Amino acid sequence: MVRILLKKQFSETFKSYFFDVKKNRMRSKTSIILWFAFFFLIMVGLLGGSFTFLAVAMCGSMVSVDMGWMYFVIMGGIGIVLGAFGSIFNTFSTLYLAKDNDQLLSLPIPVKTILTARLLTVYLMGTMYSSIVVIPTIVVYWVVAGLTISRLICGLVFYLLVTVIVMLLSCILGWVVAKISLKLKNKSFVTVLLSLTFIGLYYFFYFRATNLVRDIVVNAQIYGEKLKGASVLIYKFGTIGEGNFASAAVFTAVIAAILALVVYVLSRTFIGIATSSGKVSKARYVEKTVKQKTAFRALLDKEFKRFTSSSTYMLNTGLGLLFIPAMGVFFIIMGGEISYVLNSFFSGMSGASGVLFCAMLLMLSSMCDMSTPSVSLEGKSVWIPQTLPVEAKTVLRAKLSMHLILCAPLTLFAVVCAAAVIDGPIALKLLVVLLPMVYCVFSAIFGLVIGTKMAIMNWTNEMAPIKQSGAVLISIFGTWGFVVVFAGLYLLFAYKIGAVLYIALFTVAILAASAFLLRWLDTKGAKIFSRL
Amino acid sequence: MLKIEHLTKSYGEKKAVDDLSLHIAAGEIFGFIGHNGAGKSTTLKCAVGILQFDSGEITVNGNSIMRDPVKCKQDIAYIPDNPDLYDFMSGIKYLNFIADVFGIPSDVRQERIRKYADAFELTSDLAQPISAYSHGMKQKLAVISAWLHNPKLIIMDEPFVGLDPKAAHILKEMMREHCNAGGAIFFSTHVLEVAEKLCDKVAIIKQGKLVKVGTMEEVKGDESLEEVFLELEEEKED
Repeated sequence: MVRILLKKQFSETFKSYFFDVKKNRMRSKTSIILWFAFFFLIMVGLLGGSFTFLAVAMCGSMVSVDMGWMYFVIMGGIGIVLGAFGSIFNTFSTLYLAKDNDQLLSLPIPVKTILTARLLTVYLMGTMYSSIVVIPTIVVYWVVAGLTISRLICGLVFYLLVTVIVMLLSCILGWVVAKISLKLKNKSFVTVLLSLTFIGLYYFFYFRATNLVRDIVVNAQIYGEKLKGASVLIYKFGTIGEGNFASAAVFTAVIAAILALVVYVLSRTFIGIATSSGKVSKARYVEKTVKQKTAFRALLDKEFKRFTSSSTYMLNTGLGLLFIPAMGVFFIIMGGEISYVLNSFFSGMSGASGVLFCAMLLMLSSMCDMSTPSVSLEGKSVWIPQTLPVEAKTVLRAKLSMHLILCAPLTLFAVVCAAAVIDGPIALKLLVVLLPMVYCVFSAIFGLVIGTKMAIMNWTNEMAPIKQSGAVLISIFGTWGFVVVFAGLYLLFAYKIGAVLYIALFTVAILAASAFLLRWLDTKGAKIFSRL
Repeated sequence: MLKIEHLTKSYGEKKAVDDLSLHIAAGEIFGFIGHNGAGKSTTLKCAVGILQFDSGEITVNGNSIMRDPVKCKQDIAYIPDNPDLYDFMSGIKYLNFIADVFGIPSDVRQERIRKYADAFELTSDLAQPISAYSHGMKQKLAVISAWLHNPKLIIMDEPFVGLDPKAAHILKEMMREHCNAGGAIFFSTHVLEVAEKLCDKVAIIKQGKLVKVGTMEEVKGDESLEEVFLELEEEKED
């Protein structure tokens, strides 16, 4: 029975590998195999390879100064963090928010079997993530320090302990996430904030990783002594990997006791957790008179509400909204210097810095593609705008306006910053303002055109139109390609006509293309929308 | 009020609706019945302008749904078989959105929302996100939003599905009141007892073709609507 439940659990976890949400049907066998091969390649090849590289970089030096235990503490710590955080949301949905709890509890399956299957899923998912760190850690140590019986046995114990700690932490953190999730208001904004913080931290450590590793390796003894003095427990944990049977026995006993306690608590509370409705306190309705809006304003507000209600929508289509003003600030601080360097480097190409500044701004504009999935996001609710007494082109204009209201003011700020610091004539400065602004309008219209033409309405998960649709792919790579062509053409040939004329020609061309596409949206696009 | 003339709609090779003609006059509750896949929803969707059709003409108060859809839609309210509403809005935000699009003044909408939400006992849930609503609550919200702009013609696809008996009773009363006030209602249903008691006229569709239409008395005679429907179904199978 546990096996059947586990199979079901994993089918659910990896459902996107078996089921094509875009086409709303099961994938072919070949496709499933290819998806899993891709997943395996990423997990083992890319992530596992990175951590093997890290282990190799650290192990030799640390073992040579008798700091093998610290090597295991650092790498084990990374494995625990990766495993626990990697599977935290899976734990949350598997253990505390499973959609099929009611169904399973109504079947003749003992509660302890359901709990065992759930816990095993959490354990296996955590193990999958932590293994990509811990397995290379142990194997590299065996290779560097030499393989003995004690190291073999204790290495395996270390691996098992890490995976069980990951499961225990996942259970606890998953419970915390479940509790916070029930209480939280403005979930989408908090999710965006947390995701951005996580991305920021990731890149902070990623760019500093080389220095950090070098620092730890060079000062291993100093840090090691400090750590040993601060926490004997951590030191003893590290010595397990080195082959210390006493430490292995003590930690195994302690972790086993904690595991027994967690399983006991979960088994006592599982039915309560599994059958809790999870409803937050009800929002109280207070009648109040609202100001009447125009139909267009109502549609526009609806678009904003749709955007801000989904962290997936905001994160995947609106990252540029953060980078564009950041680029403006960057231009103010460094722009003058960069402009000088670029003009010196491309000394034969007058106004090269203007073209390249424009290219940077266009690239950032391309990172905003809110308008692209907006039609598909109507999904099954598309009957609402279709049956309302508004023209389809008005609905599309509302989507376009949402994109422009978000992007245009920020782009204007950035282009003014760029124009202020750029080294060149007034005409160039004006065009550095004009082209990115026109492009901002163009990319919004282009995205909406593609999104309307290639709309997918039968999705079950909003990830499909936001991240996985052909429209988004074309919109992003199409606009990026455009930027590459813009910069490349100038650097290869068009520098001969000068930056001012070149940017002016591009501006006119984009303006014309925007007008053409807008006309298409108002006529053919509107017709397509009303027939979706 | 609603005239459907020789409507034909195909999905690929299959004719979902074949040369169907219906007239729904002001003051009438018009029931539309048929087996699953008979073409009821397709007809209703064509009538509200969601689906384009191959041939025929549909007019609402003399305006063509093909040529003048916005004018037609100002007079129509539609409730689909599955109320997929905007899950990211609260109930009250959704109602205000609909009211804004139809240009209903603030005081009028407030009074109507109060009246219908109280009737369906939904007032205390209006601040809740629609994603937290049950199917029945969504159906009630869809009904309220349909009645909000006081439309001349209300088109509903299986409106009683998901409603509790009390809400269903209230909806029936609202339908009758609406027609007594000069409006018209065209709705599909599988609940033949409801159709029999509620409708002034009824049409039976089978495999896209109209097989019987008329006043309730004309269609069922001395039999029950269920008996007539089953007989017609058997005839076709023969």
